[in-house]
Amino acid sequence: MKKNLKCLTALCMAGAMISLTGCGSSSQSTSADTTAGSASSEATTSAESTASGNGSKTVIEYWHCNAENQGGLTVDELVKNFNENNDHIEVVAKYNPDMYKGLMQNLQAEAATGNTPALVQIGWAFLDYFSNNFSYTSPQEIIDQYDASDKTFLTDNFLPNVLDLAVNSDGVQVGIPYSLSSPVLYINRDLLKEAGLSEEGPKTWEEVDSFARTVQEKTGKYGFYMQEPADFWAQQGLIESNNTSMLTKTADGKIQASFASPEGIQAMQMVADLIKDGAALHVSWDEGCQSFIDGNCAMLYTTIARRASVQKSAQFDVATVKSPTWGSSPRKVPAGGCFLAITAQTDEQKEAAWEFEKYLYSVESMAAWTIGTGYVPPRKDVADAENGLKSFLAENEMMKAAIEQMDGVVSWTSFPGDAGLQAEQMLLDMRDQIFGGQVTAEEGMTSTQDAINALLDAQ
Amino acid sequence: MNNETKKQTILGYLFLIPSLAVFAVFMFYPLLYTFYLSFFEWNMVKPVKKFVGLNNYIAVFRDPNTFKILGNTLAYILVLLVLNFVLPYILSFILSAVIRHGKSFYKAVFFLPSVISLVVGSILYTWILNPISGPVAIILGKFGIQMPFWSKTDGWVIAVLCIITTWKTFGYNFINILAGVSGVSQEVIEAARLDQVPMWKIFLDIIVPMSSATGIYVFITTIVQGLQYVFTPIKVITQGGPNYASSNLIYASYHEAFTLYRTGTSSAISILTMLLFIVLLLLEFKFVEKGVYYEN
Repeated sequence: MKKNLKCLTALCMAGAMISLTGCGSSSQSTSADTTAGSASSEATTSAESTASGNGSKTVIEYWHCNAENQGGLTVDELVKNFNENNDHIEVVAKYNPDMYKGLMQNLQAEAATGNTPALVQIGWAFLDYFSNNFSYTSPQEIIDQYDASDKTFLTDNFLPNVLDLAVNSDGVQVGIPYSLSSPVLYINRDLLKEAGLSEEGPKTWEEVDSFARTVQEKTGKYGFYMQEPADFWAQQGLIESNNTSMLTKTADGKIQASFASPEGIQAMQMVADLIKDGAALHVSWDEGCQSFIDGNCAMLYTTIARRASVQKSAQFDVATVKSPTWGSSPRKVPAGGCFLAITAQTDEQKEAAWEFEKYLYSVESMAAWTIGTGYVPPRKDVADAENGLKSFLAENEMMKAAIEQMDGVVSWTSFPGDAGLQAEQMLLDMRDQIFGGQVTAEEGMTSTQDAINALLDAQ
Repeated sequence: MNNETKKQTILGYLFLIPSLAVFAVFMFYPLLYTFYLSFFEWNMVKPVKKFVGLNNYIAVFRDPNTFKILGNTLAYILVLLVLNFVLPYILSFILSAVIRHGKSFYKAVFFLPSVISLVVGSILYTWILNPISGPVAIILGKFGIQMPFWSKTDGWVIAVLCIITTWKTFGYNFINILAGVSGVSQEVIEAARLDQVPMWKIFLDIIVPMSSATGIYVFITTIVQGLQYVFTPIKVITQGGPNYASSNLIYASYHEAFTLYRTGTSSAISILTMLLFIVLLLLEFKFVEKGVYYEN
């Protein structure tokens, strides 16, 4: 036993020595690294000091989610252009994969280390989540402090309903809308013509219903597909346009789900019936878009952000019409996309972030953004301006529907509090059940509304 | 035991330490932390984790979807066992004992998809299997068969996701089993043939028992890996839908944590999943392992 112990100690010591030698050699290489590192850092310093000859530049980070095929090239171009023409600010654009959720996760990690970028893109669905969990500065506050000569910038340049998109449930303007999309109805004019229908497409949901049935009857193809990704965005447009609100504030200030109104139920049941009768498709989003592009489905209700890909691939006379209404009820289309929020912490960074943000909202930058991404410009006057989108829109008729329905844009419902994500999930489950025909719209919507309200009450 | 062997033994243990350290950091610590998290309510951002005792576990058991997901999980296991274990077994027998020519060609063909990313495969399959305009639907249409809207139909959705997963994992399992099956001595097979033993009997009574060491390995990896691989097509194509009809335990755990940000419930599901697999493995050791034939 004693011998064993001795042996063990000896070995441990040997092991320790081996690892120490390891350390020794690695520390040597470390010192070599340091030399190299310091040499390079000297080089950087000297480079920086040359730059600081014309006043040192403030470096700010701009976080976005635009992959190369989703406007990333435009982001780079805008940033490059800004950096070339600005002598005191250097913007570094940083791409975050996995859209707004991915950016939010990265921001969470970054905030934990005590750093934050200066300007970030926040998806609408994260409006409350972001403002509850992160430190940001409201745009008007920034303007008052650093750009006092242009105090009315926000009200001068944005429609009030558009600005409201970035107001959280506490009534605070968290940021400024940047990327805006809304659902439109894509139509296959050739197929409508073949079915003997108006090539102008339907104006109301009632017409969508009869158009879809006629297409099925006359051509044997499908009449309609409504996007079904992992969000309830498009269905919100359908339901809210029928005099229904997803959420209602009660007299005592509590927020309650209220989508299961008779009109809301009628809206969902219409689509469910079309599916049941074989006039509409109930497939995944990609399959649905593909079927429309292939000419197997006459009408597609999806985001304007898909315009470029639909336009490029469709081999028929394709057009977009505004999101349909219910009779003469007002059109309500939910906004997709994101707003920009300033998360800079120091005065210097905040000021620089605002200067860059203001540049992004200039007519020229907005026009470049729309052309590069397919989003609708959130700012007024871009569509008609000569240096804006005038010529682009003349050639791209399909964008018009989305721009013309801007006055009907409403916020994408975000349920308050921590249960919000769960409530959104319940809506998706409900949609699956109703469109799948397992429950009627009335059963499904009433029980889901009760369940969501119980969830909201509990928190 | 003399001093020399002792030294050797201890030295052996010392060499294990680095890998043990890596495992500790990347396996055991996260495992313990998951166990710890399963007793709290937390959304990954809040500074305070709220202790809720066993409530997360109770919530998991009270949720009717849990049992649906558990049923799906078992369905995935069964289908994948047939497609990814039984089928390659039969095929490798055919290739090693029945067929004489073109063996390496078939090996390459079967293995090829294993090197392609499953994300790419999943996207590819949504095109190929598009129920309205995909090539498969068009061919079936010529025979007057309408393809089901599989991505939105209970049952079908699991079957198709299994096929996609199989496309990826089949080749690897096949190569493994083929190695085992080819290891069976040709003399035994020839002898059986001379005695005019039918092929299916050779397979069941000679090949399977004599290659069972490889077989059991592939059997277990099919269950474990299959469930993990199936995650990718679920994530890419259905996100667990329609109404949880394609979700499995592993996707459910991911969904709770990274879509709903409920780390407590997610951890509880993870721990329960682990327990389930421990039970399955114990059963396997107790009943199956005894019959396995190890050559050495």
